[in-house]
Amino acid sequence: MKSTFIVDLERASRTANIGIVLLCLASGVAGYLVSFYFHFLTVTFFLLVLLNAFWRHGQTSHALLANFGFLAQIRYLVESIGPEFRQYLFASDTEERPFNRVERAEVYRKAKGVDSSAAFGSLLDFDRREIKLRHSFYPVDKDQIEPFDVAVGESRNLETTYHIRRPIMISAMSYGALGENAVRALARGARLAGAVMNTGEGGTPKYHLMEGCDLIFQIGTAKFGVRTPEGHLDEDKLAAIAGQDEVKMIEIKLSQGAKPGKGGLLPKEKITPEIAELRGVPMDEDVISPAHHLECVDAESTVAFIGRVQRVGGLPTGIKFCLGRPDEFRALVQEMKRQDIVPDFITVDGAEGGTGAAPKSFMDDVGMPLFEALPLVHKALQESGLRDRLVLFASGKLINPGKQMTALSLGADAVYSARGFLLALGCIQALQCNRNTCPVGITTHQKKLQKGLDIEDKAQRVANYIEALHHDHVELLSAMGRSSSRWLSEENVYSPTRAPASPLSQEPS
Amino acid sequence: MRHPKLTRTAQGVAAMFLLIASVQKFIGDPGSIEIFSSLEMEPTGRYLIAVIELVAALLLLSPLAALGSLLVVGVMCGAIIAHVTQLGLVVNDDGGGLVGMLVVVLLCAGYVLISRRKELPLVGDTL
Ligand SMILES: Cc1cc2nc3c(=O)[nH]c(=O)nc-3n(C[C@H](O)[C@H](O)[C@H](O)COP(=O)(O)O)c2cc1C
Repeated sequence: MKSTFIVDLERASRTANIGIVLLCLASGVAGYLVSFYFHFLTVTFFLLVLLNAFWRHGQTSHALLANFGFLAQIRYLVESIGPEFRQYLFASDTEERPFNRVERAEVYRKAKGVDSSAAFGSLLDFDRREIKLRHSFYPVDKDQIEPFDVAVGESRNLETTYHIRRPIMISAMSYGALGENAVRALARGARLAGAVMNTGEGGTPKYHLMEGCDLIFQIGTAKFGVRTPEGHLDEDKLAAIAGQDEVKMIEIKLSQGAKPGKGGLLPKEKITPEIAELRGVPMDEDVISPAHHLECVDAESTVAFIGRVQRVGGLPTGIKFCLGRPDEFRALVQEMKRQDIVPDFITVDGAEGGTGAAPKSFMDDVGMPLFEALPLVHKALQESGLRDRLVLFASGKLINPGKQMTALSLGADAVYSARGFLLALGCIQALQCNRNTCPVGITTHQKKLQKGLDIEDKAQRVANYIEALHHDHVELLSAMGRSSSRWLSEENVYSPTRAPASPLSQEPS
Repeated sequence: MRHPKLTRTAQGVAAMFLLIASVQKFIGDPGSIEIFSSLEMEPTGRYLIAVIELVAALLLLSPLAALGSLLVVGVMCGAIIAHVTQLGLVVNDDGGGLVGMLVVVLLCAGYVLISRRKELPLVGDTL
């Protein structure tokens, strides 16, 4: 799909917004000179102009209306009569990708704090043999569910051991991929809900720090913010960032599900002078991160690098990757044992993960999906005896409580979501994150588009989303007969044996 | 809605004035005829506005008051345009009484519209 649609909407709405004012004046003149009947039009246009002015300048809860005015209302109208229309004409509620309407609607409702119960029955296709959670005959009382608490860095007896108190964390999204308002709304929301947020590989955190939430600082393969001019680790800069009060953990990004084996990419359309400065890069070309850290060329050097960051940063430090070859991972684990350097956490990102920009072939065809990769990593760590020395995070389309509980059952200790939070911010899945034209002002640096994203309002939605998910986790845990997610295991997951992506199917060698 | 009583009072006041105005137009009150003549809308325009006013008044007293108030605001804006551009503020030596009434009705309807804006069909959700 070309971007012309939104560019056109932008231009069309500008014309329309001016157009109604002109029409109002024109009918006023006609009413005076020709016939008073024209004033029926004058009044109608006048009211429309007033309404439009309110939408554009007087309200903050509808980003599209704030940015485009009354033309965008057509979208709401279509949405309100949408179910009938779509059923006959367009995609069904469960067809859209990456997230279908049913999934998105759940996030929107949670974020807005509205009841998300549904009636009559599931809209999902049970014949397709989806993974389900197994409940117990003997649910646990909800007041017996233990508060969520995962300690990271405990096995190394770190003074800086961090306690995660919310099972859902905001996954890495850089300032650069996201605009300033989006970063601040997410950070403020995280603080309101007591959750932790990953900075992404956008260099020195700036807007994140303004809101005072707990942060995981990510070191991308280009090491923005902590790089020497050649792209090696600058230990002084890392120590300075790790010394900030808000920075609680460090994540070394080895790879990412949407583009495993390929470095990050920030299109030049999205590079502002400020971004260039925070990252330490030129402005007039796409910023392409290398595919791997210069220091990490094999298992030995990778583990040594982890040890170095742990030592310099003094914080709980982990790695993030998308699994490709289980044998390579096992070798990496053996090397960890040999050097006695174990990351404090591992983030497993599924190939289905999102991105601001990536080549399509990588998005579609490279890497293992989360529900296959996660149990492999979990078991490999168990077999080598390292499982108790670190915690596991998972990410990849985990935007609703059911999927999140599945991940927690398959080995994760806490889950990350990126796009779930974008939806909570009002993302309409326009699929333009790479073009600086995001119509709801999230993945753009254009001031006029960001205007629609009110930080205070959206921060509350982010917080609501986290709270609602946490609430549902407790309900599900109780139904599954477990008093804490730490007691969840594969037994809590029903996976039809012939499902296309069964996490419990035969382990690939 | 922040002040339900005030809102309902405003609905009542506006509806009452509108009913009176509408009836005057229907029965062909000389003042009305003169006004619509000078606007060159006699008699079609007079009956048209009378019907709209009647409908608006009834809506104001029904669960669709939000829609009614929108209609009233529209009609009153039109009336004000008429007075400002062609009729003048004082008609038939009433010392501005008619315009004063217009403003009262506009204020009442405007208040109802604002406090009931969320009930408007199609756009209410966004206001
Ligand atoms: C706009 C956007 C920007 C992202 N930027 C980064 C990044 O800087 N570093 C990173 O490791 N992952 C990045 N990701 C990937 C997410 O952190 C996460 O791994 C992935 O989206 C899976 O989570 P999800 O399915 O809930 O979105 C980004 C994702 C999105 C949607």
